[in-house]
Amino acid sequence: MGNEAIVRGAIEAGVRIAASYPGTPASEIGNTFAEIAKEMGIHFEWSANEKVALEVVYGASMCGQRGMVSMKHVGLNVALDIMEMVALRGVKGGLVFVSADDPSQHSSGQEQDQRWLAKQNCIPVLEPSDPQDAKNYTAYAYELSERSKLPVMLRTVTRVSHMRSNVRLDEIKRPEREAEFDFDEFSYVKAGFDKLFYREREANEKLAKVRAEFETIHLNKLKRNGDEKAAVIAVGQTYNYVMDALIKLGAKGKVAVLKLATSNPLPEKLIGGLLKGVDKVLVTEEPDPFVELHVKAIAKDYAPKVEVRGKMSCHLPGEGELGSSTVDQSIADMIDAELSIDDRTDLESEARNILFDRMLTLCAGCPHRPSIYALKKAVRAVKGDIHSVVVNGDIGCYGLAWSPPLSYEDTYFCMGASIGVSQGMAQVGVDTVAWIGDGTFFHAAIPALINAVQNKADIKIVVADNGVTAMTGFQPNPQQGRTATGESTKRIMIEDIARACGVEHVEVVDAYDLKAAEEAFKRMLKMSGVAMVISRRLCATEAIRQMRPNRPAPYEVDQEKCVGCQLCLSTFGCPALSFDDEKKRASIDSTLCTGCGVCAEVCNAGSIGRRN
Amino acid sequence: MSVFKIVIAGVGGQGTLLATRLLAETAIAEGMNIRIGETYGMAQRGGPVMGHVQIGEVYSPQIRPREADALLGFELAEATRRGVTYLKQGGLSIVNSRKIPPVEVISGMRRYPDEEELLRLLRQISGRLAVFDATGLAEEAGDPIATNMVMLGALAASGVLPFGKGKILSAMRKNVSQRFLELNAKAFNMGADAFMSST
Repeated sequence: MGNEAIVRGAIEAGVRIAASYPGTPASEIGNTFAEIAKEMGIHFEWSANEKVALEVVYGASMCGQRGMVSMKHVGLNVALDIMEMVALRGVKGGLVFVSADDPSQHSSGQEQDQRWLAKQNCIPVLEPSDPQDAKNYTAYAYELSERSKLPVMLRTVTRVSHMRSNVRLDEIKRPEREAEFDFDEFSYVKAGFDKLFYREREANEKLAKVRAEFETIHLNKLKRNGDEKAAVIAVGQTYNYVMDALIKLGAKGKVAVLKLATSNPLPEKLIGGLLKGVDKVLVTEEPDPFVELHVKAIAKDYAPKVEVRGKMSCHLPGEGELGSSTVDQSIADMIDAELSIDDRTDLESEARNILFDRMLTLCAGCPHRPSIYALKKAVRAVKGDIHSVVVNGDIGCYGLAWSPPLSYEDTYFCMGASIGVSQGMAQVGVDTVAWIGDGTFFHAAIPALINAVQNKADIKIVVADNGVTAMTGFQPNPQQGRTATGESTKRIMIEDIARACGVEHVEVVDAYDLKAAEEAFKRMLKMSGVAMVISRRLCATEAIRQMRPNRPAPYEVDQEKCVGCQLCLSTFGCPALSFDDEKKRASIDSTLCTGCGVCAEVCNAGSIGRRN
Repeated sequence: MSVFKIVIAGVGGQGTLLATRLLAETAIAEGMNIRIGETYGMAQRGGPVMGHVQIGEVYSPQIRPREADALLGFELAEATRRGVTYLKQGGLSIVNSRKIPPVEVISGMRRYPDEEELLRLLRQISGRLAVFDATGLAEEAGDPIATNMVMLGALAASGVLPFGKGKILSAMRKNVSQRFLELNAKAFNMGADAFMSST
């Protein structure tokens, strides 16, 4: 897997420390470090958030140690504050950070191209096309980082991070380096304030050296025989589409191809030289026209008449993943080649008409489902109308509260925002509930909570506490009392933090106890000021994992007692439930049921009970 | 060199990823190149899962539409969805007849499509279509979680792979926990038999 190959590359380069915050498509980088860190003598941690992760690794870098930080694309938004300083002040031990971007938003709320942030901050960017590149580029990135004294961004996309293929391994080097803070380089006292304070020129000079290195670096591969009239600049993963397209079109050797690994800074002479020899050049990249824009600038100086094609020229779509068919077509257009398409659009639209979308839903037995169910009942009881409050959700599994049949969440934005935006609404007189998970609470909610107490915001907070960072693969969070590598450590509880922040009304309930949860929510809704209920129960999927190979006894529907009202399905909607249209009775799939028993509380007919 | 392409379609939690990995391990043990693209997004939450497995020299991890040699469908509706897009005309389809209704169906917003309708679409594109209750066989073998091994056994028995049944079984021995080996091997063989007796 691409993500595993990145870790291998870091190990081959002698990485000493790694930190991350889980987020798809980057999570497996941390998961892999967590597995091998102890054995390899590496410190690995799941940090509280991406900013802290980068700070931790930067600390080690200033002491001469090689480190890796990995995050999903939006994690860099959180880490940007320190990232900018790392680039300006420079590194000592090689510092490589992975930004795993997610074109087409397979598992993200936005499609952000983080190369722009690298550009803004003088950070070199390497873009692998497959797991082999991912490993090789990572190892090279450490050399580059130490030579240039800059952090290096290894920028992957979902298709590289999650691609699996054969990878040729190289030797693991474990150089013993003394850990020593470099006072001469990083201390205000030793190095002098003037030297450290204004560093923009140094950063630009460093980047110029990197550009020179990129002009000849073997990672950029130019395939050209000299008489081609068209060229493709294939950036990162899109190289795969380009090569497959050339094979399909029989155009290998007719189109010059530059496999571009280094998208910032661009090797200007290499690209300029290519542009001089051709009439047209197509730039393939995802998701933004980052390289294309800069190629246009280079073209102005080197070959003003060359036609630069890509996203800006609308030869390729401006957003999303490219895909083989799109690239086939754009290359065929550029060289006037025939592209045979055996279409099956009729059958595909017929299938679309009869098929459902298969919407995402909370798992069978998920503790968030009863929490939302009870919250709706409490709001109806206290306020009369469930839509008299704005439910501001947050980032995690529980964000699926919007999905049917519960359909009870109005907004979600970015980590921790539920508590912030709720305050603004409350300050202008609109009732809210902030709906936030435990992992998200630790990541970004604490300053917002302090803000609410200090500024007397009248907000209600429900913490959907399932004990793990479930969405990204059950990574531990600070409540579990264990580190990423399984050592025991102090447990940090949300209720303690909330009380320490000045929240006076904090209750903890069992999410599976519908009645108790509903009553707790009612009390919270009647309070003035900041009030919180923590609805706690371990993630059902994680609980089953821990019990394996055993499973709790499932529940069943007494077919005699069931009245066929479908209340359990239409208002609760656990995926283990189903309805037999002929018999007009509900039933429970024993292979999916996790034995939580909440549906038995939902049923008015008393027809659901534990199987003997 | 020719490339063998398989599309695997299913729902989160069905163990499609392990089936994919065993194919990869077998190919690597046989000295072949493999490239796998997986699309799972937030599949843990009941979403659709799709794996593209290509054995041979190839660049992109995603198979082009209508170029897959075989479709391994772990769930009837998902098999249809991916099959009509990715299976080449006349390709092989192996499909689990077991349905996993999505939340739209559970909560009464939609009905699960008619089984005959789905099979009609699959018949139009497949040269050979084998449909059987793979989850039922896995339950018979001891655990419905072994549905993935039933499906893999059927694929191995079809004879389309560039390696034999025995090679996959030895990859299973190397990569699956000892505790589940007997169950998995049993399910695998039941899948192989089910394919052979399907018409």
